[in-house]
Amino acid sequence: MSRYEEPETREIPIPDFSRRPAGPPRRPRQQQPPQRPPRRPDSNHRQPPPTRPPAPPAKSEGGGSAGRTIVRTFGEVLITLGVVVLLFVVYELYVTNWMSGKLQDQASADLDAEWANERELHAEPLDGKAFARIYIPSFGADWNFTVQQGVDSETLEIGPGHYKTTAMPGEPGNMGVAGHRVGKGAPFNDLDLLNSCDAIVIETADSFYVYRVLPMADEAAGWAEGKGRDPKCANVAPLRDRDGAYAETVGRVIVTPGRGDAVAPVPYQPADVLPKASQAALLTLTTCHPRFSDRERMIIHSVLTNQLKKQPGAGYDDLLAEIGEA
Amino acid sequence: MYGWIWRHLPGPLAVRVLTAAVLVLGVVALLMFVVFPWAEPMLPFNDVAVEPE
Repeated sequence: MSRYEEPETREIPIPDFSRRPAGPPRRPRQQQPPQRPPRRPDSNHRQPPPTRPPAPPAKSEGGGSAGRTIVRTFGEVLITLGVVVLLFVVYELYVTNWMSGKLQDQASADLDAEWANERELHAEPLDGKAFARIYIPSFGADWNFTVQQGVDSETLEIGPGHYKTTAMPGEPGNMGVAGHRVGKGAPFNDLDLLNSCDAIVIETADSFYVYRVLPMADEAAGWAEGKGRDPKCANVAPLRDRDGAYAETVGRVIVTPGRGDAVAPVPYQPADVLPKASQAALLTLTTCHPRFSDRERMIIHSVLTNQLKKQPGAGYDDLLAEIGEA
Repeated sequence: MYGWIWRHLPGPLAVRVLTAAVLVLGVVALLMFVVFPWAEPMLPFNDVAVEPE
């Protein structure tokens, strides 16, 4: 600061700069500090420019290094685990959707090809293979997924799966379909938003089957005077009016995972409670509930209201116009 | 741990940065395509089917 010190400052930078290019950059950190101290005593006041902060690390290497290393490594491991958990969330919410999207596209193309080629169709759908397509118009006109045979995890990765022992589309009894609510394409993500009388369309090789969600538990009373007058709700009526065995079959039910009888021919009843001829044709969708959990299952029951043979050249758009959903 | 890896990466700074990026991407890919698909069925939020008891 004062002029007395100026001569000193000129002397120091010169040796320091000349020394630097000699060694490889940065590497010899540990070696540098020992070399520097001898220079320093002359220049207490003007340290900053020539010497770099590496001096403190030299001390840390000397004392308590084992403890520091352990603590630092432990911290790094914890941070790493946290990042891994975040990555898992990304995987679950995005990567599985992307993977399932590709599988679904493939299954959809295969199904179209199979339907387009007029050879005799398999009477029994093959496990893991698509045999139908599901549409829910209230989720958007372009919402559709292929329905595969079986509900094992590999099949459900492609899209919704059909419980093998349950009825086929249009048959009396109960057609059960399971689908993911989170990740894996999340076909049934919005199942909780379905209202009574919303259409669920199943397309097979030769027909469209239109099911409509049954009245909710709190709507069943006074249905005929209330929502039942909506033209959409033609042919939809509380099933308990039809037979007492259907008392528990309402539009939306939350059950525990063990209730396999949610997809029984007459839901929540033994299989033989009603003869097949007097069973209603139902479609039951199952998914996990609450979202992100498998504590319970959400069950949506719907009833067949009409069925239309596919006309050549007429597709799903024409069907939507016909059933008043377009 | 990371400091140790960094010190043991060979080459100049640019090469080391590149190697480190490749290592990170490799670990992420391993997690996404091998570890997570393996671990997922054991976690309790992906069962959507009802099963008889």
